[in-house]
Amino acid sequence: MNVRRVAAIARRIANGFKRDHRSLGLLFGAPVLVLLLLGWVIRGQSSPATRIAVVNEAGPLGAVIVTRIVDAARTGGLQVVDIGASVDSARAALADDRIDVALTVEPPGTPGSTGGPVIELMTPGVISTDDSLHVAAVQRALADAVAGTGAPAVVHRVLYGSPDPDVLDSFAPALIGFFGFFFVFVLTGVSFLRERVGGTLERLLATPVRRSEIVAGYSLGFGLFATLQVVVILMVAFGSLRVPAIGPLPEFSAGLGIANAGSPALTFLIVFLLAIGAVNLGILLSTFARTELQVIQFIPIVIVPQALLGGVFWSISSLPDPLQPIARVLPLTYAIDGLRNVLIRGEGLASQTLQVDLLVLLLVAVVLIVLGAATIRREVA
Amino acid sequence: MTAGTDVAPVVEARELRKVFGPIAAVDGISLDFTPGRIYGLLGPNGSGKTTLIRLLVGLARPTSGTARVLGTEMPERQVLGRIGYMTQADGIYADLSVVENARFFASMYGVRDRTAIEEALDLVDLGGRHSTPVEELSGGMRRRLSLACALVHRPRLLFLDEPTVGVDPALRVVFWEHFRRLAADGATIVVSSHVMDEADRCDELLLILNGRVLARGSGAQIRETAGTHDLEGAFLRLAGRAAPAAEAPPREAPPNDREGAAS
Ligand SMILES: Nc1ncnc2c1ncn2[C@@H]1O[C@H](COP(=O)(O)OP(=O)(O)O)[C@@H](O)[C@H]1O
Ligand SMILES: [Mg+2]
Repeated sequence: MNVRRVAAIARRIANGFKRDHRSLGLLFGAPVLVLLLLGWVIRGQSSPATRIAVVNEAGPLGAVIVTRIVDAARTGGLQVVDIGASVDSARAALADDRIDVALTVEPPGTPGSTGGPVIELMTPGVISTDDSLHVAAVQRALADAVAGTGAPAVVHRVLYGSPDPDVLDSFAPALIGFFGFFFVFVLTGVSFLRERVGGTLERLLATPVRRSEIVAGYSLGFGLFATLQVVVILMVAFGSLRVPAIGPLPEFSAGLGIANAGSPALTFLIVFLLAIGAVNLGILLSTFARTELQVIQFIPIVIVPQALLGGVFWSISSLPDPLQPIARVLPLTYAIDGLRNVLIRGEGLASQTLQVDLLVLLLVAVVLIVLGAATIRREVA
Repeated sequence: MTAGTDVAPVVEARELRKVFGPIAAVDGISLDFTPGRIYGLLGPNGSGKTTLIRLLVGLARPTSGTARVLGTEMPERQVLGRIGYMTQADGIYADLSVVENARFFASMYGVRDRTAIEEALDLVDLGGRHSTPVEELSGGMRRRLSLACALVHRPRLLFLDEPTVGVDPALRVVFWEHFRRLAADGATIVVSSHVMDEADRCDELLLILNGRVLARGSGAQIRETAGTHDLEGAFLRLAGRAAPAAEAPPREAPPNDREGAAS
C-alpha cells in the first residue's frame, strides 16, 4: 500500500468538504442542534403539580385513610381538587382534565385486597408517559406519608450516575454513536456514488492505484471527519463551561454538562471503528444507487432499524424476543453499548463487555471493508 | 526512439472480443500500434470505440482474445503508470479546484514533480486558473482539465476518448499541435472520434462499425479504397458494403451493391 496515494485520497475528501459548507454544517451543526434541543426538552420539561381527587368508598375506616392521604398529598406538593365524593364525579373530572389522578379507597374484599382497604389509582390513559409521571408523584407523596410512621421507608439509589435521573446521561452516548454512523454513511454513500456516476472512479482505476488504497483513503478521510464530529459532540454533551452574564445576555452554560466517567481515547476508538464500518457500507450501497436521492432512500432500511433496535431508545433486553437476535447483529448496538460502558460506567479495556463491543465493531468494519472493496472493480489485480 | 520500421509495437491486440449480453461491443479486432504515431479510432456512437480502449487499458477483461500493452499482457496494474487515459466523460472532481484535480491525479500516478503539473495545466491554457473550482468552469474548460489530468505523468502511451468534443476550434488546433509534439517525442497516441474532419490529422485510421474494423490506413488510402473524396462518404460507402455481410458469415462476404439492404 502506497501511503502517499492513501493520503492524497483522504486529502481530496477534505478539500471537497472545504467547499461544501452544507455538508460541513450537516456533520457538525446538526448533531449539536439535536443534542441541545434534546437537552432542553428533557431538562426543561415543565412538570406542573399533579392534581388529584380522593374518593372514599370504604366507610368510616376509609375516611381515616382519606384524611391521611390528603394530608400527605398536601405536604408532598400535590394539588388536591375537591370534586365531590362520588366515583362518577371523579371520572368526570378525569375526563375533563380537571385532575390527573383519581384515588379511590375501596373496601376490603375488592380484587387485589390483602385484607385491608385498597387504594385504587385511576389515570386518563391517554398519554402513558404523563400518566406514569403523575402516578410516580402520587406514590412518592404517599411514601413520604408513611415515612416515620413505622412503615418501611422506600429509598431509591443508583449504581451509576446520579440518583436524580437525567435522561440525557443515557441518551448522549447513544446519540454519539448514532450521529457517527448516520452522517458518515450518508456522506460516503453520496460521495462514492458521485465517483461511480461522474466517471472519476473509472479515471481513478485507470491509474496504478490499488483498491486497498482507495478504501483506506476513504476510511481515513471520512474517519477523520467522524472523529472531529465526535470531539464537537463530546464538548457539547460533557462540557460545562459557565459563561457569566454579559450585558443583556443571561448567564449560560456552553455544553450540557452531562456527567461522564470515561476515557476519551476509548470513546474515539469506538467511534472510529464504527465510522470505518459506515464508510465501507456507504461504498458498498452506492453500487445499488443511481442517484443521490436513492442513497437517501437507504436511510429507512439502514439507519432507522438501527436507531430503533440498537439501544438509542430502549435497551436490547426490553425488546420482543424475535427482535433481540436482530439487534445483536447491528453494529450500532455494540457502539452504543460500548459508549455507555465507557462514558457512564467508566469502564476500561479490562472490561469484558467492552472487549466484546470493540471486537464486534472491528469484525463488522473488516467485513464491510471486504464487501465494499469488492464493489470497486477493475480487471486489474 | 522512433527509428526503423520493425520497432516492437506499443499496443498489440489479437482477435479481441467483448460481449455484453447479446451485443458484441468489440467483435474480433486485431491491431498493432507502433511508437511515435497518432492512431484514430473512427466510428459512430455505439460502434465500440470506448469498449476497445477500455480493453486496451485493462479496465475490462476481454471475452476472448488478448491485448499486450507496452510489452505486458493486459490487464496489469503496473503498466497503468505509463498510460494516460482521458475518458469520454470528464472524470474530474467538481468539488475540487483546477490545481487540486491535477495534483490529485499526479499523486495517483506517483508523480511528485510540480513542474509536470504546471506544464500540463499551461498546455490546456488553464495555468492562470489554478484555484478556480471546477464547478465554475465551462464545459470546454472541463474537457481541457480532463486532458491535463491525463498528461501529468508524461505517459508514453495516451488514450484519448473523444478529446475534442466541446472544445472550440482555436483550441482544437492547439490540442492537435501538442498531440503531434508528444508523438514526435516518441509517445503513441490513440484518439477516438466520431467527427470525420479531424481524422486526417492522424497517421493511421481505423474505421470501426459494430465492433469491427471496416478499414484501416491513412485518410488518403481509405478514400482511395472507397473511391470517394471525403472520409464521410468513404465511411458510408464502406459501411454500406459491410452491412449485408452482417447476415452472412463475417469477413468472407464479398462486397456487393445491394445498397437497399442496409438498415
Ligand atoms: N458496460 C456495458 N454494459 C452493456 N453494454 C455496454 C457496456 N458498455 C458498452 N456497451 C455497449 O457496447 C456497444 C459499444 O459501446 P461503446 O464502446 O461505448 O461505443 P462508442 O464508444 O463507440 O460510442 C454499445 O452498444 C453499448 O451499448
Ligand atoms: Mg464512446
